Amino acid sequence: MSGLRVAVPKGAIFEDALAALDGAGLPVDVLREDGRQLFYRAEGAEFIVTRPSDVPVFVEHGAADVGIVGKDVLEEQRPNVMELRDLGTGVCRMILAAPRERAEEVQRAISHAEVVRAATKFPDTARRYFASLGRQAEIIELHGAVELAPLVGLSECIVDLAATGNTLRENDLVVLDEISRSTARLIANRGAYRLRHGEVSALLDAIHGSLNG
Amino acid sequence: MQRGTTRKFSTTPGTRDILPPESTRLLDVQARILERFRLHGFREIITPTLEYSEVVEEPKLRDASFKLFDPDNQMLLLRPEMTTPIARLVTQRLRNAPTPHKLSYALPVYRRTGVGRGQSAEFHQAGVEVVGSTSPGEDAGTIALLIETLESLGLRAPRDFVLVLGQAAFYEGYLRRVAPEVASELLEALAAKDLVRVDEISADVTVEAAGLREIPRLVGPATDASVLERATRYAEGRAAEGEAAAALDNLRNILAYLHAGGGHLDSVMLDLGLIGRHNYYTGAVYEVYAAGLGFTVANGGRYDNLLRRFGEPLPATGFAISLERLISVLPKEEPSPLLVLVGGTIEAIRLAAELRSSGVPVLHLAEDLAPVTAVGYACSVEASWVGYPAPDGLELAPAEPGGRFEITATEKVLGRLLS
Repeated sequence: MSGLRVAVPKGAIFEDALAALDGAGLPVDVLREDGRQLFYRAEGAEFIVTRPSDVPVFVEHGAADVGIVGKDVLEEQRPNVMELRDLGTGVCRMILAAPRERAEEVQRAISHAEVVRAATKFPDTARRYFASLGRQAEIIELHGAVELAPLVGLSECIVDLAATGNTLRENDLVVLDEISRSTARLIANRGAYRLRHGEVSALLDAIHGSLNG
Repeated sequence: MQRGTTRKFSTTPGTRDILPPESTRLLDVQARILERFRLHGFREIITPTLEYSEVVEEPKLRDASFKLFDPDNQMLLLRPEMTTPIARLVTQRLRNAPTPHKLSYALPVYRRTGVGRGQSAEFHQAGVEVVGSTSPGEDAGTIALLIETLESLGLRAPRDFVLVLGQAAFYEGYLRRVAPEVASELLEALAAKDLVRVDEISADVTVEAAGLREIPRLVGPATDASVLERATRYAEGRAAEGEAAAALDNLRNILAYLHAGGGHLDSVMLDLGLIGRHNYYTGAVYEVYAAGLGFTVANGGRYDNLLRRFGEPLPATGFAISLERLISVLPKEEPSPLLVLVGGTIEAIRLAAELRSSGVPVLHLAEDLAPVTAVGYACSVEASWVGYPAPDGLELAPAEPGGRFEITATEKVLGRLLS
């Protein structure tokens, strides 16, 4: 139907993204056939499958016309793209958490404006959160397994995404604060949004129809 | 080199040396753009690279600027754009001259990389500013000039590019009338291009105001009357006497002028959600997008309040083209022909001068090089021909491996080079 190039994130919201695109009539079946491929060409659309944090990069540069990505990634990167639609799926929370036995201590340190060390994959989000509280933190940027940091003394707390809360429970971490809630969003390149407005709005309408129908 | 010290001989992050053929292309395109601006009577100005930091007020531009301190401890910055320096220049130097001032420029500007996602710390802009007129005819005139400039460089609309036109005062005027309590919040969301946030804020507004979420989504070709028809609905009733209706009239006038000025409407797409990247835009605002490039090639608009800061409340409108981005989408062009003439004799020097006077670009090498070496050299400087002096003209060969030398009369050289 469109001929648009769509950036689809791997991982947690992959299936939700496929469901939304499928509902909009895009030929997403090719994406399920061979999980190792990174680039798929189908009748009427092309798909890039990439890490969630890279989706806005492809879209901002125009290498993909539209993309699906969590609000958490958009908040962190603040890319210059059009944010068109909340898909309502992929719900998760950005949280501040600490080990159960030290939770009170960390809470007290924060309320006394002491400097706490926070490990996170979302350094800008964490920085903005502590700044909004008027509190201070030393942000330690990691690229995976953030929940490990407080267990081995790398940090006192973490700022991370939680969908089910299972990872938190397994590592005996408790939530001290909810920073924001995130859902999957449809984003578009600024140029593609105008140059291919017909195709982009058709996709939006189709997604709207399938979400409400 | 001392042990343990790393000497920094590379260019600083975001800057680069520009070499031929890219540098040639850049200067060539720049010259053609300025020539086009002159055709409309615009006159070039040059302002200092350094400005006092107070000159630039726009927060995003200040944030993106390189700063330094002069010996009096005054903060200076490297100009991050040209619109504000020209506003300063007009209010200081042209105070008593008759308006409108029609000024143009082609100069590098400087921004810290990584701020607002810019990759280049130094890039070239060419643009115009019309200062001292509120007429929509001047907005239309600069838009038409921008479209003509792009077309003169080989781009065709709507295949290669589109100019997206909005009116910053329309949505704002509607908001101030209909939902003033959420106006600034909505404008902030729209400036961040976050239509999801626009919907969220609109959902909390209790009054009947469909325009809150619909106006930013009014997008379509300027030749399609339905976009303005739909917009008109939001400039009736409660919003009828306000700025929204005036903004819409202004937009209609601009489109009428554009239509009259040579049918530029095919290149224009309306987008009433476009309100401009800088707070100083007050009316018409536009961006040019090219196929295959995710970023704007040019942008501009009306900024009627910027000059007030400098003590002269003059209205103004203008645009800037980003030259590096423009060149990346221009059709490839054959480099102009160049002949490498080889020979250290007096005869070779005389021949070089004679050829140049008849219009042949000649790079003379005052050495006796073997043909293979000469062809290699010619390829490295992107010359298309190699020649040696011969009794009745010169021995000429295309600059490619195995190119055959043929005796060519001096007066026929230009014809062969251009063939």
